[in-house]
Amino acid sequence: MLKELLIQYAFFLHGSKRYKKIKTTFSNFLLNSDYEYKKYFDIFMISLIIVSIAILVYEVKNPVPDWVDFFDIYLVTAIFLIEYIARVWVHNDWHKQVVKEVGEAQFLNRKVSLWIPTKETLKGKIRYLLTPTAIIDLLAILPAYRPLRVLRIFVLFRVFKLLRYTKSINQFLSVLASKKFELFTLLFLLVFITVTAGIAIYVFEQNENENIESIFDALYWALITISTVGYGDISPVTPEGRVVSMLIIVSGIAMISFVTSVIVSSFSEKLDELKENRIIEELNKKDEFMIICGYGQMTRMFLRYYAQEYTNRYIVIENDKERVEEAIKEGYKAIHEDASKHDVIKCFNLQYSNITLLALTGNDIANIYITLNAKSLSRKIKVIARARTEKMVKKYQLAGADSIIRPNIIADRMLYTAITQPVMYKAIYAILTGKNMALLDEINLTHAELLIGKTIEELEFKKQKLLCIGLQRAGEGGAFIFNPAVKTTLEESDILLVMGRKLSIEHFRNIYTKVKYV
Amino acid sequence: MFNRKALMFGYSNTTKFLAENLTKELHYLVIIVDDDDSYQAAKKAGYRVKLLDITDDDILEELDVDEDDYLICVMKDHYINVFLTLSLHSLFPKTTIIALSDSYHATQKLKMAGATRIIDLYQVSANRIHNILTKPVATKLIERLFSPEEDFSFKEMLIPKNSILDTVMADDFDFSKHGIILVGMIDKRLSNQFIFITSGLENRFDVGDTLVCIGYNDDLNKFEEYIKGKEDES
Repeated sequence: MLKELLIQYAFFLHGSKRYKKIKTTFSNFLLNSDYEYKKYFDIFMISLIIVSIAILVYEVKNPVPDWVDFFDIYLVTAIFLIEYIARVWVHNDWHKQVVKEVGEAQFLNRKVSLWIPTKETLKGKIRYLLTPTAIIDLLAILPAYRPLRVLRIFVLFRVFKLLRYTKSINQFLSVLASKKFELFTLLFLLVFITVTAGIAIYVFEQNENENIESIFDALYWALITISTVGYGDISPVTPEGRVVSMLIIVSGIAMISFVTSVIVSSFSEKLDELKENRIIEELNKKDEFMIICGYGQMTRMFLRYYAQEYTNRYIVIENDKERVEEAIKEGYKAIHEDASKHDVIKCFNLQYSNITLLALTGNDIANIYITLNAKSLSRKIKVIARARTEKMVKKYQLAGADSIIRPNIIADRMLYTAITQPVMYKAIYAILTGKNMALLDEINLTHAELLIGKTIEELEFKKQKLLCIGLQRAGEGGAFIFNPAVKTTLEESDILLVMGRKLSIEHFRNIYTKVKYV
Repeated sequence: MFNRKALMFGYSNTTKFLAENLTKELHYLVIIVDDDDSYQAAKKAGYRVKLLDITDDDILEELDVDEDDYLICVMKDHYINVFLTLSLHSLFPKTTIIALSDSYHATQKLKMAGATRIIDLYQVSANRIHNILTKPVATKLIERLFSPEEDFSFKEMLIPKNSILDTVMADDFDFSKHGIILVGMIDKRLSNQFIFITSGLENRFDVGDTLVCIGYNDDLNKFEEYIKGKEDES
């Protein structure tokens, strides 16, 4: 009976959109660095940690008011506890395991066991609880327990807790982690020299030097000396001991230089990567952005004219290091990566952001591969690709490109217009480049609700010094009505195509978007 | 327009496209190349072609070029393209020179060399990308307007003598009745410059003015015929 109820409950949770939404929200706040509100949560937690550390340190020697104690014992600890529980909760899903188990049991025609999913879930949670960050989280809660003053030492874990919320420290640690082998080798060498020197000094001076009474004193001396700190509380008195001193001082200096060079070199190696990751992280927080693949002539031209319009909303991915450097020198945001790689595009916030990918390399094969790569990751990504030849257009369409640019064809048609329609070539050019005097612009009725239900006649375009060129009806296959009749009524989500001076269009837009807030 | 000539320097897909589409528009069209391979290829394709040393001013000077003609520089090598533009501009300063460019720097040089119009391959594409991103509906319309195979386009129309439009105020005439939109005009009374109809000026149609309209080709052609006749007073 209880088993059935639990299974039903698991299925209820599995199907509940509300539960899923709540859990996703918690997960976003706690784990998703691309979530736009996570930074506020992080700032809140960092402030809380700093305040609680300050209180705990202050009250070591000074009495604090009751309310401060209350704040620290109950509020801060309660928040830390809730956060800890929430992290354990979002780590994995019991109901998913139950649903999986029921499916498998039905398929294999066996009895459903609740123990298997519960065990799997618990295993996952225990595995999480044993991670260093989870242990730090737990220990950071302990200083609140006042009767045991020794627990105050765990205030240090609140400091460690900051690691979770500060990216730079994490990045520093990750850089060190990448040089684990070198650092461990040096550490081993350090231990070896310290122990050898400690034993040597113990053997040489145990009877001669009153400050060296045990092997611990000898090891302590060796470590203080090798680190070049040299307190001077213990110093060798025999010639043999002094020789040992000299040797370990020299090796100590060498080792410090080694460690420094290892850390510096790993930083310089990782610096570009860190910078690139930072750019991607910043971009992932935007609702919409653009990935430009390739830094060739077309990208240069596009950025020359439009980079300002897309400030902080684009990134150039180029696999030629020199070109990346050139782009950066020009002041553009570029990273050295291969856009045709699955993992590179996967780094972007494919789920929440509206991404437009421009495949503008000079190579059709690369562009098609980039298009396929992007579309295989998310159909939502809008791809605008450059095709070098007409023959390739079909392939781009099959790969899923939303728009295909053929520079030569566009230029040919412009040339043709310049010859056949010379007077108005300039006019078309002005329209195409969006010059102030004649802008061809779109007014989306989704953003100008007051236009819905109005007829073309009622909008008095002539009076507004505008031309109504056409009307795009809503939906994918919506018809485009050129020069709509005066009695045509505007409908929800239609797009009006108007032409006129920028000033006139903005005025018109203001009338039909601002009034609704009055 | 039909009595005009076009001299196209260089043989490429662009030249082929223009040669195929301009035959109806121009009186005479010739492709001028400076290498035998291009000459043979163009000849084989059935185009009117000349093989000349285009770096020699004496040879260029002998070309039959009038002020109303078009000199189209689409040489593959942009150094030669710039040099040729400069030579042609010095020899025929009043003739329209249209040049194709494939970089920002080449565009600047062509401008200095005296090209009347420069079509920058990448600039027009960059504009197109931007338009697709910001105005997809407008971009589709523009694509239709530019495509010679579409039934929808821009058209320039000269107001002839005895036209129905003579002395009519632009605001008083209903173009939508004819299924077309008047985008702008050259109002000779005001200037020789093209003016957008939305610029806010009070334009009057007079004989010799040029109208620029958009619409379906059939409607545009009908309208062009329509404005030729004086309206029946009755």
